[in-house]
Amino acid sequence: MILLASKEETLTNKIFLGAALPLVKVIANDIPKLAKKFEKTHAVIQISALDPAGPLGKVATHFVVNSGEWLVHTDRVDTRPHIELEFKSVEAMNAFFKGKIGPATLPKMRGVLKNPGTFASFMQVLLKMSALLGAKTPPEDEATKKLLVKCFFYLLSSGISQLNKNGHEAVHEWALKSPDRVYAWAVNGYPELSAYIRVKAGKTKAGRGEYKRAMPFFTLRFDSLDSALGILMSTDDMLEATKAGRLIMDGAPEFGAQIGEYMLTVAGYAQ
Amino acid sequence: MAGGLTYTAVDSTQLSTAEYYGKALCELGREHPEIVALTADLGKSTKIGMFGEEFPDRFFNVGIAEQNMFGVAAGMAKAGLVPFLSTFSTFASLRSADQLHTDICYQNVNAKVIATHSGTSFGQAGSTHHAICDMAVTRSFPNLTVICPADGMETVNAVRAAYATPGPFYIRINRGFDRVLYPSTDYGFEVGKAVTLHEGTDITVIACGSCAFQALQAANFLDNTDGLKVRVLNMHTIKPIDREAVEKAVMDTRRIITVEDHSVIGGLGSAVAEVVVEFGKGCAFKKLGIQDQFAPIGLHEDIMSILGIDSNGIIDAVREVMKKDFELDDNWDDEV
Repeated sequence: MILLASKEETLTNKIFLGAALPLVKVIANDIPKLAKKFEKTHAVIQISALDPAGPLGKVATHFVVNSGEWLVHTDRVDTRPHIELEFKSVEAMNAFFKGKIGPATLPKMRGVLKNPGTFASFMQVLLKMSALLGAKTPPEDEATKKLLVKCFFYLLSSGISQLNKNGHEAVHEWALKSPDRVYAWAVNGYPELSAYIRVKAGKTKAGRGEYKRAMPFFTLRFDSLDSALGILMSTDDMLEATKAGRLIMDGAPEFGAQIGEYMLTVAGYAQ
Repeated sequence: MAGGLTYTAVDSTQLSTAEYYGKALCELGREHPEIVALTADLGKSTKIGMFGEEFPDRFFNVGIAEQNMFGVAAGMAKAGLVPFLSTFSTFASLRSADQLHTDICYQNVNAKVIATHSGTSFGQAGSTHHAICDMAVTRSFPNLTVICPADGMETVNAVRAAYATPGPFYIRINRGFDRVLYPSTDYGFEVGKAVTLHEGTDITVIACGSCAFQALQAANFLDNTDGLKVRVLNMHTIKPIDREAVEKAVMDTRRIITVEDHSVIGGLGSAVAEVVVEFGKGCAFKKLGIQDQFAPIGLHEDIMSILGIDSNGIIDAVREVMKKDFELDDNWDDEV
């Protein structure tokens, strides 16, 4: 009997494949110690889950690493990866990345013996990502703070876009009604951390960096890295932060509330 | 005078833009004895007659001879006086174009033309009294500053600024009955600097004259009904145009609509378009105004509605331009 994943499990999986796993590249690039490990690597690394509804019977995100350069192919299956972590179902993958690690959720690991060094390095990146995004308290040093804020911004912009592309009712309804608009996330003094989502008549695109074609319709702007982490790690209250000027809404507040709701939706799926 | 008034005398006193002009000029006249006023037999209609009642020795009616009035004004200015001369916009810009061009602008004299009944504001008087190309003509004259105030308060500011700034001015005001945009003169008027009436990042509507009020009405309506955030700029100074505000509008909103009670050829829309093209950044663009035709004859509000330069016309245009693409990127894959 073929069991298809529920809508909620599918959406959760799309967040992992399309928004969370691409952060592997960011972490591997931004932490010099990890970046060094891939300087001489040439490999295709894939994380997949068996899914009868997927093309080739599985869903996957894979990375092509070439001398330290990373290409990310989200939600696309490579038929001959050098290394593969294959979960037995979408549910198993979701549970694993939500921290429920056990015999039922562990993936099959292929290519480990042939590529032990690359496998070990890749696992270190995954563990670092898990530690970063799962932390309950903000990091101490500025470099890690910047990396974490960037990861959260990318996760949220891509996550909202994935929800739209995969038919999340409320998000898609919102996107359908939208003229060509950009919503952005930013921290004062750190333009390199910015992320945005462009929305137009049902279509969305998550982008990285500052959007420069026009002024974003709405920007969720933080006055500092600590203020950003306060909201992103849910240790600060949005209203209090706005009143105190730690969070600045550039644009109409009603649209800020709306994007804030979708940020919480993404967080709900990913946690 | 051609008729068809639908307002009471009280309304006309409260709302007439020219009335504000007359009062402002009298105030200036009390402070500055070098100010003189000239009319071509339209003292009452243009309200410059108010100055004549208070300062009969400094008021000159040259008769129905506009060209002479401009020549006389140029001579007075050369002699150290500051002449304010008023007639209908269509006569000031067309019948007297040669004298305005050569006697006043070429000599760069300190004369101030306050042209009334501009655009289609004297709609019921017919096409001979519609000034639909005065901005196109005057803004091409070197040395001339061209201003199109939005209401009475802005007219006061413009008249004061004209006195305070050496060189020739052309200020085009309506016959009257303009909707009130500003409750006072204290809102930061500056020659050559647009005033932001409504903030927004979806689209920018750049308007002048009576269309500025209509644009603000449209922006408020679209905010409430469509959730659209429309930036509205009151571009009161047509020359020198506020390049910075136009360029910022291009960069911020990438969609611009201009609205004017004037031909779309040569006026505000053309001035804004020149800046946009020279700036070199793409944006969706639409000009609202009189589309290369003579305007219909009737009451101003009706004509504005027919021409699509009232709030309803602006609302329709905003909805249309919002559908246009400014972003060439049609790849909707998320960046990773």
